[in-house]
Amino acid sequence: MDNDRMQMRHTLLPLLLALLLALAACTPDGDGGLQGQLLFQDRPLGGVQVEVYLKADKDRSVQPFAVGSSDDQGRYRVSLPKGDYFVIGKKRDTTSDGRTRMLMAESPGNPHSVASGLTVVPSFNLREMGRQGGLVAEAGTGLAGQVTHAGEPVARAYVYLYTQSLSGLMGPSYGEAVQTGPDGRFRLELPAGRYYLVARKRAAGGRSGELSAGDLNSPYPGNPVELQRGEWRELGEFPLAEIDAERHAERRADGTFSATPTSVSGRIVDAHDQPVAGIHVFAYLDSRMVGKPVYISAPSAADGSFVLHLTDGGIYYIGARSAYGGPLEPGEWVGTYDGRPDHGFEVSADSRQSLGTVTVREVW
Amino acid sequence: MKLWFALLIPLLTASPASALVLSGEIRWQGEVEFAESVVIPAGASLTIAAHSRIRFAAGGLEVAGRLLAEQVEFSGRDWDGLVLKNCDATTRLRGVTVRGAKTGLLVQGGAPELVELTLRENQVGLELRGKAAGSLRASHFADNAKVGLFVKDESTTRILDCRFDGNGKFGAYLYRARPDEFAGNRFAGNGTGLMIAYHGSDPLVAGNLFVDNETAIQVDRAARPELRGNRLLGNRTGIHLYRRADPLVTGNLLAGNQVAILIAYSSYPQIVSNDFRDNPLAIRLEYQSSAWEQTKGAAARSSELATRGAFGGQGQRTVGEEQRRAQNLEGLVVATGNWWGEAGTRELESAGFAGNPAFIHDGRDQPTFHEGGADYPLDRVRFEPWSRTPLTELLP
Repeated sequence: MDNDRMQMRHTLLPLLLALLLALAACTPDGDGGLQGQLLFQDRPLGGVQVEVYLKADKDRSVQPFAVGSSDDQGRYRVSLPKGDYFVIGKKRDTTSDGRTRMLMAESPGNPHSVASGLTVVPSFNLREMGRQGGLVAEAGTGLAGQVTHAGEPVARAYVYLYTQSLSGLMGPSYGEAVQTGPDGRFRLELPAGRYYLVARKRAAGGRSGELSAGDLNSPYPGNPVELQRGEWRELGEFPLAEIDAERHAERRADGTFSATPTSVSGRIVDAHDQPVAGIHVFAYLDSRMVGKPVYISAPSAADGSFVLHLTDGGIYYIGARSAYGGPLEPGEWVGTYDGRPDHGFEVSADSRQSLGTVTVREVW
Repeated sequence: MKLWFALLIPLLTASPASALVLSGEIRWQGEVEFAESVVIPAGASLTIAAHSRIRFAAGGLEVAGRLLAEQVEFSGRDWDGLVLKNCDATTRLRGVTVRGAKTGLLVQGGAPELVELTLRENQVGLELRGKAAGSLRASHFADNAKVGLFVKDESTTRILDCRFDGNGKFGAYLYRARPDEFAGNRFAGNGTGLMIAYHGSDPLVAGNLFVDNETAIQVDRAARPELRGNRLLGNRTGIHLYRRADPLVTGNLLAGNQVAILIAYSSYPQIVSNDFRDNPLAIRLEYQSSAWEQTKGAAARSSELATRGAFGGQGQRTVGEEQRRAQNLEGLVVATGNWWGEAGTRELESAGFAGNPAFIHDGRDQPTFHEGGADYPLDRVRFEPWSRTPLTELLP
């Protein structure tokens, strides 16, 4: 028995250390954060997802910086480093008559500053989307059409409706999204307004995510669509084009990975200093390193080497991961440039600099 | 490229983007070798004749149309593997072997039929994601460096009668997924046989066999599966419950494990109606304290929620504290109605409810533990009432 316990201690000690290290790594700067209470019809509302963003609404095409939830009294608390934040509350639930509804609102006091300690966000009411807040359909008003490819109907494609085009008709800021039926047709009940439509069908079947060669994608050729109250508009055929592998590769090469006079290079290694291939290097302008990076490298080569092309000098905050984006998943490689505690690296314009090695670890 | 195969109605388009895009009805037969990716787009169909051998020196095979393959071997060295993108049940792989790939087979959505596959010596044998459905039966996952079978993204694929042998880290890993069935599988000689992790991973795991693994089953980070009617024999650790793991553990046989169930960090399972036999330790608590949970649990989880995306350790988590916090803060781990083996039962009958069973390590043996500069009381196991007879009829 004693030997067994000794062996277990040896087995568990690394686990404990790993947990403590993980907890330490997760600790935000100080004890700052936001707290508040969420209401619906002036009553506390529990189970609300509290999303915290770094940017205002029009720029918010990224995942939230932090997420929390409200308790039975509608109260929430989210630990955050110093900075300015935008707070949104969201809750999807089912009414007593079986109707699914979405409750949502932004804090009227956005943005909220966090310095030290907890900043109190004044209570605010969520509104039912489609009723008080978002796209409230008006009687006899809407759009319909048929999504096609090469003249054939496209079933189970997604049609996304945006109220503005600032996002480039990409990302999750669309107002509505519907899926086409077996005959490729779709129907959107809407209020009067000015809309931009785009339709996509991913081979993998998802509603969101980066498009790949072979996926179908097109904006509606008649964008924007002006819709009057009481008008039911038949858009007719909404043709999609297939993303060509060659053009897709060219566009990526022309954009993110294209060579520039300013670059940093280096080598991706694991904890044993062995090269790791297939790792993207991300450059951020913000030391918090969240959301979309401003530059991304092509995957590291077999010897771990990478080149990150930049369009200007400055301080960039450098991270590396095996996935191109999305939530961190078990099995991914992830790491940061650790030449400075804040992961920053200063780059001179029109120079090619080496930042040495970036060590990545596998997350399980 | 070396090709000895027949193409029926072929249309090959060599693409400068390092991919061959094939359309129409394609048939491969014999030995086929590629040094670039091959794409079968939606609407196209690839049939590979039995006993064909497909080798990739680089790239991989991506199918968005239909693939029919039986008794076929795919191989290469550090190649990309097969990708099935939203393929329906008309895509069928039977008796297919995939080896040497980064990910042997990646199923992104859809519901392909996968039978008698062999995934061997890949980094990851098979990954199911994107709400994949369908079934995976009688397949063998062996010697994959990291994970034999990875199930993610709310995939519901039925996983039946598979074998997982000698996979480096995990035989199978269920990450925010709930297979419709997970039964009749056998795990032997893996680092961890079955890992079930993160909130949203709450499958029923029933009627599986775990033998000689370092850890047979680990439940971690707010996963809440039901472990029912499994046999866990001769593992170093039978079930490891870690970081708010609250499974229902019932009707299992745990025999000959060095530690049958190890519980740590605010995990409050229901351990009911199982048979424990010949385990030096039936239950061991480590760093398990409702006082720690009350003092530090929420703060630790809040820190996790508020971190800085991928480069802070966790990103885009959508589960809140309400869903993760412990409901039971009485300092007791419930393990009632179990049969503790013949010797264990004799000890209990002798000592009664107030005894301190030698086969349980809890707060009776170690009143406190030290963590983060403070002492916390170690929880206790509530082991009464107990069964006087075996319950499971699960023979080793």
